[in-house]
Amino acid sequence: MITAVLAAFVIFSLCVGAMPVEAAGALGLLAGGLLLAFGRHSHSGMLVIDIYARRSRYFEWSPALKTAGCVLLLVLCVVSPSPWVPLALALILTVLTVAGRGVTLSHYLALFSLPAAFLLLSGLALLWDYVPVKEGVAAFPLWNGWLVITAEAQVRARLVMARALGAVSCLYFLSLSTTMPEILSVLRRAHVPQVMTELAVLIYRYLFLLFAAYHSMRDAAASRLGYSGFARSVRTTGAVYGNLLGTSFRQAGACFDAMESRCYNGEIRFLQREKPVTVPAAALFGGLAAGAVLGIFLAVRGGL
Amino acid sequence: MNKREKQLVALSAVVGLALCAAPSASAMHVMEGYLPPAFCVIWGAVCLPVLAAGVVSIRRIAREQKKVLLLLAMAGAFVFVISSLKIPSVTGSCSHMTGTGLAAILFGVPATTVLGVIVLVFQALLLAHGGLTTLGANAFSMAIAGPLVSWGLYHVGEKLHFPKKLSVFLAAALGDLFTYCVTSLQLAMAYPSANGGVAASAVEFLGVFAPTQLPLAVVEGLLTMLVIMGMETYAMPELQLIGFEKEVKYE
Repeated sequence: MITAVLAAFVIFSLCVGAMPVEAAGALGLLAGGLLLAFGRHSHSGMLVIDIYARRSRYFEWSPALKTAGCVLLLVLCVVSPSPWVPLALALILTVLTVAGRGVTLSHYLALFSLPAAFLLLSGLALLWDYVPVKEGVAAFPLWNGWLVITAEAQVRARLVMARALGAVSCLYFLSLSTTMPEILSVLRRAHVPQVMTELAVLIYRYLFLLFAAYHSMRDAAASRLGYSGFARSVRTTGAVYGNLLGTSFRQAGACFDAMESRCYNGEIRFLQREKPVTVPAAALFGGLAAGAVLGIFLAVRGGL
Repeated sequence: MNKREKQLVALSAVVGLALCAAPSASAMHVMEGYLPPAFCVIWGAVCLPVLAAGVVSIRRIAREQKKVLLLLAMAGAFVFVISSLKIPSVTGSCSHMTGTGLAAILFGVPATTVLGVIVLVFQALLLAHGGLTTLGANAFSMAIAGPLVSWGLYHVGEKLHFPKKLSVFLAAALGDLFTYCVTSLQLAMAYPSANGGVAASAVEFLGVFAPTQLPLAVVEGLLTMLVIMGMETYAMPELQLIGFEKEVKYE
């Protein structure tokens, strides 16, 4: 709800001055309504992104290609001097991700609600400025000075927001089509220190144990009214977390004994399914990257 | 009311709403694609030496005691899990703990840095908090600056013979606050205000995030304190295993 109001206000601030006030207001309300309809931030405590990734049809594509391609697009988004290149990428990648059948459009938009909250709050700070004299396209008096939006601030905020949207959709394309173990195996091949990749693999596997343990502890506490009232919920949460950490250490000990008895020598390897680079995948990333480079080139040349 | 006054009332209502009950407050991760390229590279470069030191120290410990690697992995998983769970909050927004203060108090800074970086990558890919291009900036504020302050404060508190609960609370809460200040400063350095420069911009960023971050720091401090108390009651052998309790006894 608050995010929606905030979205409406920020979009209005972005557009005011560039178009009639009514149009800016309508656009703001539209964005707010969209967020109100879809922007749910879930706390199911499950790794939904991981589940979506396994469902996606891009799951069969080569993880190395997806990782490299998405990181390349990400970099192109961030260096783009024009807001149109990242916006176009965001649109294309959103369509592609949803077409990949891993995630529905409403779930995809719900995933955007968390970055959106950050983007909107910091957007306020980017757009509004407190100055002693009145200037800019919109101004409100406040104490002895003015809260103003200047045209330059608007241009900058538009660019920053477009870049962030494009970058988030690149990241989502990767994370909604590639599971963590595959990305880690790519990192291992890219010579990231072994200690880190191995820790990461172990952490990933322990996540599920800990989530399961947490859920049973939380349900046990909730069924005994452990979360009634603020003070009691803080106390219960602290106790559950402490117990969770203790339990997790005990489980790590058990895991170590099991691994030690199976000749663990400080190195863990898993069998990976071969996923060769396919022509459509390579063509897609090649095409998108070429398009983005062309867009950036045109923007630099023509001041788009 | 004339038109200007009406606008003023409307604006103050919107800003007030936004500030009083801000939306989901995750632990202030700078989102993907938000920083200009130069800043991504600089923050990454700042973090690399600390990260390398952490990797070297973990590798040395792991060679002597293989079990420590598993304990660290569990600790990393724990930090990730609590950072993804909703905690009770005052304003009705969704807040999450950072958990790095707790890790710094229990494991020290180098290990926390390595765990923090891995957890940040996981958060970016599995929870969509933070991002890959902003990994350096986030790692600096959450995995280096915050834990350093937490660790330092905890040990200062121990030296001054503060009650342990107080020093844990102060370490976690102030570490969290420091993380938030560093993040605001990072944002301000990337996007200085046209009129007042970095300082004015920093005040603006501190202002818009303060309503979510200040209560969060207090709750994080309380929870960290409760976790340590709970572990002292129920998980003493584990605390001794990671050297936390022993260290305290000798001092």
